[in-house]
Amino acid sequence: MKFKGGYNIYLKGKPDGIVHAMPEPTVLHLPLKSQRFTFSDIHVKDGQKVHAGDALAKDPDNHAVPLLAPRAGTVRLKVDEDYIVLEDVAQLDERADIAEEQMAHVEKQLGASGTKRVKLLSLGAWQFFYDAFTGALPDPLGTPQAVIVSTLSLEPHIARGDVQLQKRLLNFTRGLEHLQSLLEYQPIYLVMPDIKSEFATKVRNQIRGYAWAKMLEVPLIYPYDHFAILARRLGLKRDAGPVWAVRAEGILAVDRALTLTKPCTVRIISIGGIGVNSPTHLKVMPGYPLQTIKDNHISEPAARVINGGILTGETFGEGALGIDTECRGITVLPEMQEREFLGFVRPGWGRRCYSPSYLSALRLPFLERYTTGLRGEGRPCVACNYCAEVCPAGIMPYLIHKYLYADLIEEVEQARVDLCIECGLCSYVCPSKIDLQTQLIEAKVLIEKEKEEIRQEQLRQEKIRQEEEAARKQAEEKAE
Amino acid sequence: MKWLLKIIDAVRPTFEEGGKLRLLNPVFGALEHFFFAPSTTTIGAPHVRDPMDLKRFMSMAIIAVVPCALAALYLFGLRFIAIVIVSYAVGLTVETLFAMIRKEGINEGFFVTGIYFALILPPNIPLWMVAVGVAFGVFVGKELFGGTGRNLFNVALVGRCFLSLAYPKTLSASWAEPGRGLTGHLLAWNVDSLTSATPLAAAKQGEVTSFVHMFFGNISGSLGETSAFLIILGGVFLLITRVANWRSVAGILGSFVVLTGILMARDVVSEPMPTLFGSVLWHVFAGGLLFGAFFMATDPVTGPTTSTGKWFYGIVIGSSTVLIRHFTGYVEGVTFAILLGNIVAPVLDEIVVGIRIRRLRSEG
Repeated sequence: MKFKGGYNIYLKGKPDGIVHAMPEPTVLHLPLKSQRFTFSDIHVKDGQKVHAGDALAKDPDNHAVPLLAPRAGTVRLKVDEDYIVLEDVAQLDERADIAEEQMAHVEKQLGASGTKRVKLLSLGAWQFFYDAFTGALPDPLGTPQAVIVSTLSLEPHIARGDVQLQKRLLNFTRGLEHLQSLLEYQPIYLVMPDIKSEFATKVRNQIRGYAWAKMLEVPLIYPYDHFAILARRLGLKRDAGPVWAVRAEGILAVDRALTLTKPCTVRIISIGGIGVNSPTHLKVMPGYPLQTIKDNHISEPAARVINGGILTGETFGEGALGIDTECRGITVLPEMQEREFLGFVRPGWGRRCYSPSYLSALRLPFLERYTTGLRGEGRPCVACNYCAEVCPAGIMPYLIHKYLYADLIEEVEQARVDLCIECGLCSYVCPSKIDLQTQLIEAKVLIEKEKEEIRQEQLRQEKIRQEEEAARKQAEEKAE
Repeated sequence: MKWLLKIIDAVRPTFEEGGKLRLLNPVFGALEHFFFAPSTTTIGAPHVRDPMDLKRFMSMAIIAVVPCALAALYLFGLRFIAIVIVSYAVGLTVETLFAMIRKEGINEGFFVTGIYFALILPPNIPLWMVAVGVAFGVFVGKELFGGTGRNLFNVALVGRCFLSLAYPKTLSASWAEPGRGLTGHLLAWNVDSLTSATPLAAAKQGEVTSFVHMFFGNISGSLGETSAFLIILGGVFLLITRVANWRSVAGILGSFVVLTGILMARDVVSEPMPTLFGSVLWHVFAGGLLFGAFFMATDPVTGPTTSTGKWFYGIVIGSSTVLIRHFTGYVEGVTFAILLGNIVAPVLDEIVVGIRIRRLRSEG
């Protein structure tokens, strides 16, 4: 498969390449929910004093991935239902929350590779891993068919891999070696923006001679860095087993966990967008108070603060107190305040558009000020085909929209709605302002649910059949 | 422009549910959104949207025919303005009535239909006929199918087709001699009628219109279709802005040129010009082919949506135009050819989508 579709949005407020350390917090609000995880299995009591690196809670549905305490402090559970609050936070020695006797047991059962994997999981490095096709957390004890390591982040304005890797190139290559030691012969694909750049040359010199690492150059068009797109581009098939995917920060976490045996809690996130004093990168830990970040960095009073990028991120809710364990960036977008007068007849020198229908088509790409406005009213689909052109997954969003309108779920499934990677470009370009992405996601959920129901029904019938068989046998035995 | 927004906000309750004029809500909404962008914002991801909306989309289609419209004024007189006004007034009335019944907004699509329809009429058509044609087109061609985005046939062509079938004699007596000189017919209201003197009709009787005149447009014909140069100018603009897709245009013109060339080289049909190349080009410029190819067949709603479908759609239209022109009693075939193309478009899409879906099945 070749790369298809894709489109770059140039949003003002691009973060610079500097990493700022935020002031030490006094209170941490650790959210129990993030994009993939729900830490429902709480391991601490109210008022308990914890060390940095202690597991506060675990997610039972995701291989018991832990929520680690980034700092020492006192636990408060009842302040807010969705948070674990750490008070009297202090930067003391960290410790790895691993029971020695348990590790001995693990080593006996799983060998050296198994020990490393358990370490990755319990030290918080495993949460940086994704299953390339589903985006879920892969099984740490499973065997992947390949590993994709990406240094890219093409959605504006998510933390960039090259910033996170600054001065830590050695840690990166050491992390890659650690990762390789978990595998047997499976390849590691290293995805880079430009394999001839200085950065790439440095990496290549470091990993020279490693046959297991293969480099792949990717054009800088959103969303070609999406793991599912990369896996399909590499010709990896879903049936051939899981594909692990991890970004630069994940490799650094692997290095930290396996070389130093220390918990990985600090992350480098971006803060960008319009209304940010100076767009940059921040070094923070999960639970860092959102208000402190807002006070220090955001000047726009009426702005939407987004957890993630402008295309896939979620708005921080009213009551959001701290950043979660999976946050990769904060994007600020001003709310639309003024209704534009005769907007559609303007020449549009400063208005970039997917179709060259504004004067800006004569300009080179430039950073633009966006707001949350829908910029048009909702209309029926006119079949302009923009959504299918821009779709990186090669599906036809307008067709699925029409099938959904006519309630043809089976056709929706055949049109491969499951290939949708939820990049949001179809909704972005639609001139009729149809929220295609939401419809596709809803359709995916619906189909998944129906499939699950069918599976359950089959299981139930299987059970009934087995019971009947058993009863018949018993009856036969009795008759004999 | 704050004062206007204030007025709009002040009268809004009258048009909303429970207000006195709630039936006119679509009209109010259309006016409001004409002046001011809607106040709606995105809810979740994606948080930003492209500036392109249907208003801009349709404006592009209108801008593309402005050169043709100005040429129509110059060539056939001020009566053209009256035709446009009648076309818009009657069509918008039908559109508004249906918007009120459906309780939906008035769609921008009609603003394109209104001017396109005027441009494909003969210059001296009676105004009442304009009204009947556009009303028929909008009602039968669009509203019966469910409004903009759901219509099967090109609305303007349905109206035009109805007129040419219902009043063939009046229509063929409505051609006019084009204006010449500095002001042309710019100052004239009524231009004398001629009978059956469009280049295609004249060619059937052995009179061949000059190639240069056909390129620049001072020939007899429908209001907007005479000047090949201006049509290509507007058409290329439409293709560059990607409001129209180049594939169907290429399919139509390509298949038309190839088929006409073959027929002439084999001497199945006569050549109006001395050279084969000149004759084929003469046929491309004659009649409504260019206008149809650039402005009518590129209507995204009534054409196929898939790229492959667009190629075949173009080929169907191009070749059936040739066949109708040379082997039937009609001198002009583009209208029927495009309507025929509209019929096959969903079938073509069905086939192409079927193939694509089969290919998608093997994906990851």
